[in-house]
Amino acid sequence: MASTQGKSSVALPTARQAEATRHTTISIRERRFFRRYWLYIIAIPILALMVLPYFYLFVQSFAPWDQVNTAFIPTTFTLRSYEWIWTGGGYGLPQPWVQAFLNSMLVTLVDSVSVVALGAIVGYALSVLHFRGQRAINNFILFQMFYPAIILLVPTFLIIRVTGLYNTYWAMIIPRLVNLWAIFMYTSFFRSVSPELIEAARIDGASELSIIFRIMLPIARSITTVIFLFVFMERWTELLWDLIVVKDPSTQTLNVLLTTLFGPYGSFPGPLYAAATLLTFPILVLFLAFSRNFVQGVQLVLR
Amino acid sequence: MAITSLRQGNRGAFRKSAQGWLLSSPYLIFAVIFFLIPLVWSLFLVFQQWDLIAPTPVFVGFANIKEALTSVRVWQAFLVTYKFMLLFIPTVMVSSLGLALIVHNLPRFKPLFAVGFFLPYLASGVVTSLVVRGVLSYNSAFETFLRTTFGVTPDWLNNGTSATIVVTLMIVWKFAGYWALIFLAGLQGIPTDFYEAAALDGANAWTRFWRITLPLLYPALYTVLILAVGLTFSIFTEPFVLTNGGPQMATQTWQLEIYYQAFNLFRAGYGATVALLNAIATLVSILIIRSIVEAWGRHNGWN
Repeated sequence: MASTQGKSSVALPTARQAEATRHTTISIRERRFFRRYWLYIIAIPILALMVLPYFYLFVQSFAPWDQVNTAFIPTTFTLRSYEWIWTGGGYGLPQPWVQAFLNSMLVTLVDSVSVVALGAIVGYALSVLHFRGQRAINNFILFQMFYPAIILLVPTFLIIRVTGLYNTYWAMIIPRLVNLWAIFMYTSFFRSVSPELIEAARIDGASELSIIFRIMLPIARSITTVIFLFVFMERWTELLWDLIVVKDPSTQTLNVLLTTLFGPYGSFPGPLYAAATLLTFPILVLFLAFSRNFVQGVQLVLR
Repeated sequence: MAITSLRQGNRGAFRKSAQGWLLSSPYLIFAVIFFLIPLVWSLFLVFQQWDLIAPTPVFVGFANIKEALTSVRVWQAFLVTYKFMLLFIPTVMVSSLGLALIVHNLPRFKPLFAVGFFLPYLASGVVTSLVVRGVLSYNSAFETFLRTTFGVTPDWLNNGTSATIVVTLMIVWKFAGYWALIFLAGLQGIPTDFYEAAALDGANAWTRFWRITLPLLYPALYTVLILAVGLTFSIFTEPFVLTNGGPQMATQTWQLEIYYQAFNLFRAGYGATVALLNAIATLVSILIIRSIVEAWGRHNGWN
């Protein structure tokens, strides 16, 4: 084998040598290929496993109702589940599926934008401004981050009750306007921005707020993408808080509506699959659209 | 910056201080309303009984604490949470490290697989529960397959052990790819010279992993471990939607029990008490696990 390797560049081999060379060169190439790419035999099935539930969800949402769940992939496809969702179908009581989707969107968008904006402002103050008490506030944020939030659940609920905000959009939006992790991320990131840049802007007469929004945030594009995506996703899929704080179905988020109807629709889950697809795919699409920025941002964050 | 303050004297420092506090105010206001006030209120609630309907709470002294410490339900919730911890933590650590190793060693398309493995994190727990319930339902393609091929009809969700395993696997599926990113960053930080030197000394892949990779992943291991422990104490959505804590409290996590007491039975004071116990248990568990992991880290050369 070693001898034929070296001889492949020698001109005019004999017929037998030529045939022998052809066989051994191919199998060497094959062997090299296998050694380099064998990991994909494991990686691809795992990838399929990760994506399978989304696939199942999507496919089942188009399944005719007598085949939902009984057939892994249905024989025919129908829009009946989606029609049900769109027309607000329900056993006797119409269900506000589409309204719930819009509620989710409203609450999530407002909170995500707020988290980024307020996070950048506070992060700027806690990193660049160097004022007395800055360190104390930073330490307090760390303390709050590691404090078990579960203790706060009942009293925060009571605050909502007592202020009359129970069952309103405010109850869902206000407690999530600020996110500690976002502040923490912006604080660390802004520390790495060169102070001369900021000082130059100040000398030019820029106000602190315009520095934040015209200079700092554009520099922080990657990390802002990561923060926004994560916060958006967490808010969109939040259950516990939205569940306890709103009881009127037309104000509930789609996630909560799906939960309350999970049992009642147990025996005919078709519409649930359609609603769940409606709940899931915006996030997937949003995320995949920004996946490159996300990967860059994550690498930045983890360094 | 120093020059500006020198020129303006104390006025500059004061202005900067005012600016700092002003720009931090979104966080400060938020922390007072949604952290400090609930924190203090929760300590009062522990000694009160309030069903949210009566105009004022009733002072009951240590009754809540006594009841919580002797309640069968609370101990069951405690056991369930620790059961999840024992099942979930090793599984998720091995899985996410495994996924990271796979992505790290893939010759091409690394970002594709990194993002692909991350996708489960985007799914709402309600959606995953819907899919799991569908796949495990009696007439599903999967169950029918099991019946015809193996003749068994496991009732996954009505058996305490299998229900726990199903919920654990669902949560592992969700988080493994996300935490793999943390391990991935850690792996990328290990200089390849170490491996080359070890290979020269005759170390095989197994040894290289245990003696080089794992110890050098200490920061990542620490982070993921703390995240995993914190997560275990707040598992809510999947057991709530899929099994509602059943069968017979086999999956009634602590968070679920707090929800039940405070929001189903309207016992705000008692709910707050159980939450306080949970918080204490969380802190104690984290401290214990931290000291074990830190000892391992020190043994391997980290300080």
